[in-house]
This record gives sequence, structure tokens and C-alpha cells, in this order.
Amino acid sequence: MTTRTLHVRPGAVEVAGSDTTLSTLGLGSCVAVAIHEPERGIGALCHALLPEPIPGHRDGPTGRFASHAVPALVEKLEAAGAMRSRLRAWIIGGATMFPMLVGSQESIGTRNVRAARAALEALGIPVVAEDVGGSYGRSVYFAVGDGTIEVRSVHQRKVIT
Amino acid sequence: MLDVRELGTLQLDALREVANIGSGHAATALSQLTGRRIWVDAPQIRVVPVEDVGMLTGRADEIVACVVMQVLGDLAGRTIQVFPEHTASRLAGILLRKGDVPFPDGFGELEKSALKEAGNILGSAYLNALSDFLGMMLLTSVPGLAIDQAGAALTSGSIMDASHGDHLICIDTIFKMDEEQQALKGHFLLVPDPDSLEVILRAIRLA
Repeated sequence: MTTRTLHVRPGAVEVAGSDTTLSTLGLGSCVAVAIHEPERGIGALCHALLPEPIPGHRDGPTGRFASHAVPALVEKLEAAGAMRSRLRAWIIGGATMFPMLVGSQESIGTRNVRAARAALEALGIPVVAEDVGGSYGRSVYFAVGDGTIEVRSVHQRKVIT
Repeated sequence: MLDVRELGTLQLDALREVANIGSGHAATALSQLTGRRIWVDAPQIRVVPVEDVGMLTGRADEIVACVVMQVLGDLAGRTIQVFPEHTASRLAGILLRKGDVPFPDGFGELEKSALKEAGNILGSAYLNALSDFLGMMLLTSVPGLAIDQAGAALTSGSIMDASHGDHLICIDTIFKMDEEQQALKGHFLLVPDPDSLEVILRAIRLA
């Protein structure tokens, strides 16, 4: 029984309760991480653009980097009463939108997914499912109430579990 | 590294003029390619946080056709062309001498290739003009095409190498093709890397 949708902008980190659908639109190489705490009925979603800050540069907003956004998600969930051991995560995005232009180096999308996995692993949070890679964009709709994640792309819509 | 937020009025005006020269040539090329009259709006310079690039042309989940070319040589950066639904549909139809192509489902290899080629011609015309004006050698990569959510294509196209600053400078020109009752528009974005922006400004003696 979702009553409202909270839109997570690129670079943002949001937490919401069971009456909310958290959405984020137009993920290409960006990566979204959704985390659910089923018992308390709370969830959180981020939309990170880059894997981690470049050494020597200013950090920028927390939610810009997967390496920083994931701990921020967990911190916010815990502040809202979540228990770490009950958290479960999904990783979505990390596409390579223009494979012809990337050349031999690893794409930002691939690096974003790896950074998200590493950050979750470091915090001991299991990944339930991933919908990552490929060369197409995705939008995410995370119904916090029942913990379902719907991923929409140009040619399909699916629920990942 | 040059902070793009610190550009002065004179420098912004000069960049707009550089974009004018590029887009004038690109419009001519597009006009010859399509046999249509093409209008070009005055270029707009927008300095946006990387987080907002995906919303430059509208909703992040609007399906658009997006052609990206890397700029190489004396400048580094990229050109990103965004064609919304109706523009992509008509443009592909004109190039293939048939009716409007249903978007996005009617876009097979041939239709995609037509759009990519149009993007290639536009991008090359723009950059050739810049190259003459700035006295630089500019090369382009092969064009990449995505028919996808605007946010996905624009953000990924802009931050392909992660070496930029917090903000991107986008020199945006809106093209309009006049068709019966509707004006079909498209965006041509030039996104120089911050280091290259300085190179452009130095070439026009405003750095």
C-alpha cells in the first residue's frame, strides 16, 4: 500500500518507510544500491555517478561516489532504527552506454558496480540480486513496503528478487 | 585545473561566439543533408554539477536518441547530440527516404546507422569550423549511439573517463527543423574537458 513516491536524484541518498516507493531515473553507467530492512519496514536508495574520489581531488557530495554512498545509506538506515544484520541489498545499473567509445580501459559502469559490491561487502551486507551491465539505461522503483525492486528499461520491465 | 564556475562575462561571450561558428556550419550541413530549412538558436553556456547533466534536455527517463563523439587532438572532450522522439523519427525517415520511423521500436540497424551518420556529419562540420577558427587540429572518434533514457545517455556520455571536476561546461545549441506545424528540435552539446577549456580560451587570447 504505497501512498507516495520519493524521487532520488543523482548523487542523493534517501531513506523512507513502508508507505513509500523510492525511485531513481535514467541510470546509465551510474549505479543504484537499494537496501531493505524488512522487519522495521524501512529502505534506502542511492544513485552514485562515480566509483570513488580521485586521489588529490576534493571529495564532492557524499552520494556522488559509490564508495561513500553505500556507507551513507547504512548510516541513515541505522539512524532510523535498522539493525545491520537484517539488511539486504540490490545493485542496479553500471551499464556501458557507449561501448565503442570506451576502448580498452575498464568502463565507469563496471568500476561503479565493483565499488558498490566492495562497499557492501566491507559492511557485511548480503546482495540479494543484481541487474547490472549491458549497454542500456535503467530506472528503479523500490517499493519499501514489500521490498520489491522493479527495473524499467526501454524494452522491458522486470521485478528483480 | 580551471574552475568552470569562475569564467567571466567576456570569456563566456567568446565561447558563445566559438559555438556560433561551429553550429552555423553544422546547420548548413544538416540543411543540405535533409533538404530542410534549419534554424539555430543562440548557443547557451551552461555550467552544471555532474549530478544534473542527465536532466539538461528534460526528464531523465524520457527516451531520446543520443549520438556521442569523442573529440581528440589539440582538444579533449565530447560532443553530445540529443534528438527527442519526434526529431529522431522524422530525421531517420528523411534520410532513408521514407515516412516517420516509429520511435523507438522501428529503429533497427539501418535506422540507427542513419542517425549515427547524421550525427557524424553534424559533429564533424561543427568541429571543422572550430578547428579553422582556433587554428587547432581536432579529430573525432567514431560516433556512438544510444536510444535510451536521456539521463542514462547524457550522464554516461559526459563522464566517460571520470577525470573532470565537479562541474561540467556544456555549450548547448538548439537546432530546429521546420516541419508543417511543428518545430522539431535537437540539442548539440560541446562538453570540453576543463583543461581543454583553458586551451580554447588561450587560443582566443582570453585565458
